[in-house]
Amino acid sequence: MIQIKQLSKIYSKGKNQVSALEDINLTIEQGTIYGIIGLSGAGKSSLIRCINRIEEPTSGEVWINNVDITHLSPGELRKVRKKIGMIFQNFNLLSSKTVFDNIAFPLRLNKTPENVVKEKVMALLKLVDLTEKAHVYPSQLSGGQKQRVGIARALVSDPDVLLCDEATSALDPKTTKQILSLLKEINQGLGLTIVIITHEMEVIKEVCTDVTILEHGRVVEQGKTIDIFSKPGNEITKHFVDQIQHLPTHLHNGTLLSLSFTQGSAGEPVISKLIKDLQVDVNILAGKIEWIQEKPIGKLTVEVDRNTVPLAQIIDYFEKNHVRVEVFNYA
Amino acid sequence: MLSLIDLLLPSLWDTLYMVFTSLIFTILFGLPLGIVLVVTEKDHILPNPIVYGALSYVINMTRSLPFIILMIFIIPFTRLIAGTTIGTTAAIIPLVIAAIPFFARVVESALKEVDWGVIEASIAMGATPLQIIIHVLIPESMSSLALGVTITLINILGYSAMAGTVGGGGLGDLAVRYGYHRFQTEVMIATVLVLIVLVQIIQLCGNKVAEILNKK
Repeated sequence: MIQIKQLSKIYSKGKNQVSALEDINLTIEQGTIYGIIGLSGAGKSSLIRCINRIEEPTSGEVWINNVDITHLSPGELRKVRKKIGMIFQNFNLLSSKTVFDNIAFPLRLNKTPENVVKEKVMALLKLVDLTEKAHVYPSQLSGGQKQRVGIARALVSDPDVLLCDEATSALDPKTTKQILSLLKEINQGLGLTIVIITHEMEVIKEVCTDVTILEHGRVVEQGKTIDIFSKPGNEITKHFVDQIQHLPTHLHNGTLLSLSFTQGSAGEPVISKLIKDLQVDVNILAGKIEWIQEKPIGKLTVEVDRNTVPLAQIIDYFEKNHVRVEVFNYA
Repeated sequence: MLSLIDLLLPSLWDTLYMVFTSLIFTILFGLPLGIVLVVTEKDHILPNPIVYGALSYVINMTRSLPFIILMIFIIPFTRLIAGTTIGTTAAIIPLVIAAIPFFARVVESALKEVDWGVIEASIAMGATPLQIIIHVLIPESMSSLALGVTITLINILGYSAMAGTVGGGGLGDLAVRYGYHRFQTEVMIATVLVLIVLVQIIQLCGNKVAEILNKK
């Protein structure tokens, strides 16, 4: 389990002080895939670097498996770091070493016997499906292959935690999916806690069970991914969830409602019942199904005529039928 | 014609002896110096403004002296180490003293080319600063270092010709004694030709080695 308590990070450059993180509190349970999302400059990169103290927090505490790592000596910190794997946006492989030697690198730093090194590296090469590339240099690999080497290298010392710093941002959508499913497989197979920072909502949707949304160095929203998706409570969250769907403005003039149907409500003909029960006109403007880790969320954008029935009554009706409602006032 | 070769060969041998012995000592002292210069810089793995500032200052000071002045300036030191101030062995001392700061700067710029992300990844793996130097910084900059050694070697060759003028022996000495003082222009030309060929060979070999070492 990782606990971050009142973490702050301030960068000083001469007289200027820039606050990158302010009073961050997070709890990441053992075995979860935890997403941290934000726009660039939101402080997510600083946050993940504070977890293994590649960057020193200005104040606050980081607890990993009940050890406060902010008060460790350099030697003790190095020991803790060996149990925290990390992968990077730019892969950060050693260009002078082969794939095999890159993966073996953390083990050789610990003077692991060569026969053990060979066994472990071969097993990981198999896991990331790169056995035939063992003796190739990283420059001859594609982006996705490089990241798989990065993942194998991060896993070779049997870490408890895997930190992913924009690990898929340099990859195309198809490769991103492959890397994400590999991460998911590792999470399930090894029970490893994975922390992912990203600016891509797709990544969160695909693999993260929990999510924190950062803006200007502060946590603006936190919770289960499915909850955040079905009812984003904050402007920046809406930006990521993007549920207004960019409707052409000339197509509507009343009140827009965004409806989220989760498993409980999807089986009921809620809209048709609403029209009959409340005698209200409903105009359906857009709809789609989003998948949050194999769980569907139905999203519907509708326009209602608020002059016939009070808006509060309509919302109430939806809420009673387990449909989450959000109101956009255009008119 | 035979006499010309008889003159050139021993001098060439002297030059090669001076230059390569100097190179070995230069790398021996200059490489650690360059490494310390890089890692003690602000925001690197062992930041230490005092060490960095002092080293940088001394290096700049030594490099600002013209070689011929430096050579005369350190005569007492040369005598202390080599027991004499004349001859090829004695010339090695000023050559090394002049080449160390040059090579240290070459090492510095080569190591600075190493992508910070790779260093950061090693820190994240729990590598010690010494492990980062030995297993990351040096192997990752091997190709640039090979080119740096080549430049340094050619530089030492140039200095060695100057050392020749004050009794250091070697090709420079030959060119001055025969070509200049005795007006034997053919000796002068032959010396220059040998030096040109030598520099070409060194550069060619250096480039080849750098290419083999470059895995990027």
